[in-house]
Amino acid sequence: MPTVNVTLYGDIAQYAGGNHIATLNLDLPEGAVVEDLLKKISLPPEERGYLFINAVLFDAPGLYASQDETLHDQDHIGIFSTRHMWPYQYRDGIHLSNSLKDALREKGPIHNTYRSFNL
Amino acid sequence: MAKKLLRINMSNQSFDYEDLPPAWAKWGGRGLTSTIIANEVEPTCHPLGPNNKFVIAPGWVSGTPAAPSSGRTSFGGKSPLTGTIKESNSGGLSSQKIAKLGLAAIIIEGTPPAGTWYTLVITKDGVTFEDADELMGKGMYEVDELLWERYPNQPAVIGIGPVGEKKLSNAGVSINDPENKPGRYAGRGGLGAVMGARGVKAIVVDDTGGPGVDIADPDLFKQGRVKLRDAIMEHDLTKPEGGLNAYGTNVLMNIINEAGGLPTRNFSAGQFEGAAQISGEMVAEMVEERGGEGMTGHACHPGCIIKCSNIYPDKEGEAIVSVVEYETAWALGANCGIDDLDYVAEMTYQCNDLGLDTIEAGNTIAIAMEGGAIDFGDKKAALGMFDEIRSMSPLGRILGQGVEATAKAFGVHRVPTVKGQSMPAYEPRAIKGIGVTYATSTMGADHTAGYTIAPEIAGVGGDVDALSNEGKADLSLTFQAATAFIDSTGYCLFIAFPILDIESGWAGMAESVAGVTGMDITGEDVISLGKEILRVEREFNQQAGFTAQDDRLPEFMLYEKLPPHNEVWSISDQELDEVYAWVNGQ
Repeated sequence: MPTVNVTLYGDIAQYAGGNHIATLNLDLPEGAVVEDLLKKISLPPEERGYLFINAVLFDAPGLYASQDETLHDQDHIGIFSTRHMWPYQYRDGIHLSNSLKDALREKGPIHNTYRSFNL
Repeated sequence: MAKKLLRINMSNQSFDYEDLPPAWAKWGGRGLTSTIIANEVEPTCHPLGPNNKFVIAPGWVSGTPAAPSSGRTSFGGKSPLTGTIKESNSGGLSSQKIAKLGLAAIIIEGTPPAGTWYTLVITKDGVTFEDADELMGKGMYEVDELLWERYPNQPAVIGIGPVGEKKLSNAGVSINDPENKPGRYAGRGGLGAVMGARGVKAIVVDDTGGPGVDIADPDLFKQGRVKLRDAIMEHDLTKPEGGLNAYGTNVLMNIINEAGGLPTRNFSAGQFEGAAQISGEMVAEMVEERGGEGMTGHACHPGCIIKCSNIYPDKEGEAIVSVVEYETAWALGANCGIDDLDYVAEMTYQCNDLGLDTIEAGNTIAIAMEGGAIDFGDKKAALGMFDEIRSMSPLGRILGQGVEATAKAFGVHRVPTVKGQSMPAYEPRAIKGIGVTYATSTMGADHTAGYTIAPEIAGVGGDVDALSNEGKADLSLTFQAATAFIDSTGYCLFIAFPILDIESGWAGMAESVAGVTGMDITGEDVISLGKEILRVEREFNQQAGFTAQDDRLPEFMLYEKLPPHNEVWSISDQELDEVYAWVNGQ
C-alpha cells in the first residue's frame, strides 16, 4: 500500500484541515491514480490548479492531464489553488510530465488558466 | 500645458524648466530615463563621477485620474553595480505627484562641494535646496518621518539611506508609501549611490497646486482605462481576493520550490525544505493569527486596485515591515537557508532603513555564508551582518558593495551574477527561459526585464514550441520589449496577467496610453516601441564596452548540476547571441 505526502496550497488547504497551507500523509490502494487521491481528500477537480509530483509539473489550471497518473510509495504531490499565479517566463523550461506535454501540444503553450477550454 | 523637463544642477544649486526635445517627447517612464541617459551621459564615464546623471520619470499615464495601478516611477543612470545603463522602478507616492506638477522628468546633474548634502524640495513654484546635515547618517524610516513633520501636504519622499551616502554599489532609492514608510524601492543596480554622488540625501515632492496631467483624448483615455480596470478586476490573479491580493508576489515561493527552481543556499540546490515557512501562504497565516497592524491586500501607491503588498506583524501585532514579498523572502530566506519569517521581516526592515536592495543583500549574505563568514541557516548571524553595514565596518563596506565584491573578499567562485548584478529567485538551470533573459537583459540579471506576454498573444514567435529549447531567443526578446513598454507606461507590471488573458485588457492598456499622449498607437505597436527602448539601452552598453561575451550566465552553472533534476545550463551561446543580433543589423 503506497504512502504519499501531499501538500495543499491556498484555500484548498481546507480539504486537509488547514487554512492556507496543509500537509498530510495518505495511504492509498495499490495502483491509485491522481483522481483517486483528489476523491480521497474531497478536492473538487475544478478547484485544483497546478499539480506537481516529485518536482515535475503534471497539471495546470483548467486542464485534466494528470487524472490517470499512477502514484507510487513516497511520492510527494504539491497541489495549488486556482488563485496561484505563475508568470510564463518563470515556468519556461521546467520539467513537465509527458501527459502534460501532450495536453499542451493540443491546447497551446501554458496560459494562466485553461478554464475557458473546458467550459 | 506640455510636460516639462526639470533640470537641477547641483554644482551651483540652480534649476531650470525646459521643453522636451521633439525626439524625446513620445517617451515616459523607462523609455524617457533611458533616452536621456543615452543622450546626455558618456557611456564610459565613472558611475559615481561628475559626468553621470540621476534621472527620474513618471510613466505616461501616472497622475491621470483613475488610471488603475499606475503609480510607478522610473529612476535611471549609469549603474555602479553593473556599469550598464540602468532603469529601476518603484511604487510609492512619487510618480503621481511628479506627473501632477507637469513634469515629464527630473534630471539631476553636477556635483556640490565635497561633504555638502542637500534635500531638494520640489513644488509648483520650483526647487529649493535645503541643507541636509540634520538627516545625514539617518535611516530612511526616520528620514521619512522628519520630512513629513517638516513639510506640509504629505509629500512624496525619495531618499537614500546610509549606504547611499557612502556610495556603495548596493544602494537603492527609497520612496515612501501611503503610510509614509520606506518600503518601496527602486532597488536594483545601485542607483542610490548615483543619487548620493549628486550630493542629494532626499527629494521632497509636493504637487499641491500643480497643473496636473493633460489628456489629449479624454474619450479614448476613458475607454482604455475602463477596459483595463475591468480586466484587472475580472482576472483570477488580480481581482479582489485573487492570488496577488491574498498572497502577494510571495504566492510564487511554493510553486517555484515544487518545480525545483528555487535557488537555495547560494544557488547550490533547487529546493528548500523550509520554503513553506517563508511563503505567501505563511504570511497570510501570520497576519490572521497575530492580527493588529498586520494586513494583506495592502496598496503600495494610491490608486492601486491589485493591492499585492502586505504589512507583516510581530507576535504582538505591531508592524515589523512592509513588504515581505517573494524575491525578498527568497533572498533573505531560502538562499541563506533561513526558514524563519520573523527574521526575514527584520532583515527586510534593515534593508529598507539602510537603503539596500533586498535581492542583492540576500545574495550577498549567502555569498558570505558560502565563504565561511557565518553558517547557512544562522539567522541571528545573518541579521548581525546588517550591524556591520550600519557601522560601516570594513566588512560592512564590502557587504554593501554587493555580491561580486563580497565573493572576491571571501574567495567564492559560485557567483550568481550577470553583468555584475545578482540573480533573483528563479534558477536558470531549472527554468531555462528566464536564464536567456538574465543573460541578455540590458540591465544585468533581472527577473522583471522579460515579463509575461505569452508568445501567441504577443504575436512574435507564435509558432515556437514552448516545450523545447529552440526559439527561446525570440521569446525572450518579445518579453523584454513588452516589459520595456509597460515600464514606460507607469502601470504596474502585474497588469501583464489580465492583458495576457483578456484581450480587451491588452487593447485598453494601449488605448489609455494613446488617450493621454495623443500618440497613434494600438496594442499592435507595443513590441516595436519596446524594441526602440531596448535598442537605445543596448547601444549605450556597447559604447560602454559591453559585448556579446557579457551576455553569459556564470561558469559554474555550466558544470554544476542542480538538484533535484541535476541539470546544467544548456542554452547555447549562439542562441543567446541571437536575442540582440537585430541591434547591429545581423
